[in-house]
Amino acid sequence: MKLVTSKQALVECLGIVNKAVSSRSSIQVLSGVLIDARPDGIVMSATDMEISIKAPLAGRVDQPGSLVVPARIASEIARSLPTGEVTLEQRAGETQVEIRAGESLFDLHSLPAVDFPQLPAPVGDGFTVGKAAFLETVDRVAPSASRDETRPVLTGVLIHFNKTDVRMVATDSYRLSVKQTPIESSVENTLQAIVPARTLLELSRIASGVADDTITIVPTENQMLFQVGGIYLISRLIDGQFPNYRQLIPETFDYEVAVDHDEVLEAVRRVGLLAQKNAPLRLRFADNTLAVSAESQDVGKAHEAMPIQYSGDALEIGFNPEFLEAGIAAVKEPTVYLRFISPLRPGLVKGASDDFLYLVMPIRLSD
Amino acid sequence: MERDDLQQSERPRAPYRVIAHLDFDAFFAAVEENLDPSLKGKPVIVGGGERGVVATANYVARRYGVHSAMPLRTARRLCPHGVYLTGHHRLYSEYSKRLMDMLDEYSPLVEQVSLDEAYLDLTGTEKLFGPPVRTLRLIQKRVMDELQLSISVGLATNKLVAKVASDLRKPHGFTVVRPGEEEAFLAPLPVERLPGVGPALLSQLHDRGVVTVGDLVLIPPHLLRLSFGEWGELLAHRARGEDPRLVTPREEVKSISREHTFEEDVGDAGVLESTLIALTEDVCRRLRHKQLEARTVTVKIRYSDFVTHTCSHTLPRPMDVDEVFFEEVLALFRQGRRRRYHLRLLGVGVSNLVPRAWQDDLFDQELPLLRELDLKLDTIRDKYGKDAIRRGAAETR
Repeated sequence: MKLVTSKQALVECLGIVNKAVSSRSSIQVLSGVLIDARPDGIVMSATDMEISIKAPLAGRVDQPGSLVVPARIASEIARSLPTGEVTLEQRAGETQVEIRAGESLFDLHSLPAVDFPQLPAPVGDGFTVGKAAFLETVDRVAPSASRDETRPVLTGVLIHFNKTDVRMVATDSYRLSVKQTPIESSVENTLQAIVPARTLLELSRIASGVADDTITIVPTENQMLFQVGGIYLISRLIDGQFPNYRQLIPETFDYEVAVDHDEVLEAVRRVGLLAQKNAPLRLRFADNTLAVSAESQDVGKAHEAMPIQYSGDALEIGFNPEFLEAGIAAVKEPTVYLRFISPLRPGLVKGASDDFLYLVMPIRLSD
Repeated sequence: MERDDLQQSERPRAPYRVIAHLDFDAFFAAVEENLDPSLKGKPVIVGGGERGVVATANYVARRYGVHSAMPLRTARRLCPHGVYLTGHHRLYSEYSKRLMDMLDEYSPLVEQVSLDEAYLDLTGTEKLFGPPVRTLRLIQKRVMDELQLSISVGLATNKLVAKVASDLRKPHGFTVVRPGEEEAFLAPLPVERLPGVGPALLSQLHDRGVVTVGDLVLIPPHLLRLSFGEWGELLAHRARGEDPRLVTPREEVKSISREHTFEEDVGDAGVLESTLIALTEDVCRRLRHKQLEARTVTVKIRYSDFVTHTCSHTLPRPMDVDEVFFEEVLALFRQGRRRRYHLRLLGVGVSNLVPRAWQDDLFDQELPLLRELDLKLDTIRDKYGKDAIRRGAAETR
């Protein structure tokens, strides 16, 4: 195998596929990247058996062939190379791959391509969706998914497509995000699946860097392929029943407060610095004032007040500062609406319309 | 786990350890005598409170047969002219703290067991303070001079033997057991001197002809195991003066537990389950008092033949609500009770403790309301005693 590419192309391509490289697999070949040089082009692939990514590498193939390089060291080498042309060459009968750039020369141990698992290749009819609307929905919902593998279904995002909208739902059981977005879509009828949040966040990262306006999606029974700008991302789907999230959302709330988005977000960020080690962020609504405060033992305390329209009974409620901040940040409007029932019932964060809802369970305040 | 390893490695290496057990003599009563010198020479009994039992009796009162844990009613019958006091508990804590502070000067390895006793690991302190025997004599004298209280001291190579030694010649005892002499030291002592040998076990041991600790050594360990389960095995080691436990300075609480030994063995599931509910209520209340939440719950079952089983379950996240633990405890008990013997003891414990977060779950929106109930009950119990209010399902004892 012999191919010629540039440092920048190599770094970018490795950067894309690297996210699918298995970090803790005991299978050595999964910690590598497959380089497949064919007369019609070069493709790099990586997989951790949950997510697989295939990306094209711009370059010239002098002699077709394929091999697997260890991902971490290959990336470090690529980044360290001088700018300009890079040649990768493996001579017949050798296991080493030679990486050459300028006067630098690396001989890197490689693994045979035959050891690399065959990547799943979903076949069937795909459909396209508008990229911007899809990614916006991902970015506002997926962060609420759980990172705790003990309840796998919560590590996923429930996605529901129809011809005019996409709806995504994620919850880590402490907060719940629901977003319904109008989208241009060529889906037949409707489609629902639970996609790992990690997949969607990776997709968002990759897709935001390419020029295409649409993402092609090919669903199968237990996998979903996303294709954008020549890059393929294939993900396992999560099996199981997504919880009935609708019944978690109280039908009515007793209090609603409208607050300036940026002002409350910044106050929560600032005061939240003093809500450490499980300490809650306190919100107190009374006499047309919202007071945000926090206190951490052995650290100190913080307080900030802002004028609001509120004349009801005084209400004091506590939240995990990160959860509240994430909810407010996900509302991309000048005014954010906070709805409450009592300090012991969930609170709702939303914008003017109901297309995005963020429900969050409070932290009980000590008296 | 890491912390234990750290402490292990911080301990000085030595062929054997130098461990002392220090114990105030008739602690509460002695403090009362300091407070009111006219009490000296009279039988003084400190006790009362929730359970109505003797906490401490001074040595004069003990001559009448009064001893700690005895119901006050019995004590009054044995010693009608005694001076009965409910005690000054804050003062006892102060004295206790002064002793612990003093011990801290001699070793970083001080383990306070209760208000009136502590273990002290003096291994490796010879270069600083001289021979441990001299150090301990000095401590005993300082306690007398500075606190006007008498302590008894036992010095040995492990906690078990040190404790038996300090208990041997009370009051103001000073007993040293040299390395290698542990088994010989224990052998002539009555078997009930071993910590953990209570009246029930004692009568079973007497039935088997065991009177002294030495008699116990003659029984092959596997037979003890057969009769008393894991506890039997432990007993075999203790009888030989073996005890691997380290002196562990008090740190964060690692677990909270409560046990109940039935006066008569019980087979009735209703009684057993309501006992478990009451124990769980107590454990959870202490959990909330300490502002902790727990992930693991353990149920301990001891059958009439002393065979003991424990079973545990770990929750997906830490909790501090009674109702959650009731379900867990009853489920564990129903799974864990596999023999048809009656039960002599039940215990409930929680571990895997973390500082309470009170971050509740959207999927269980009832939980915060149940916790409010618990907190209200806690307030009532703090004010009027723990039996002031109980759930209907809980056995009051």
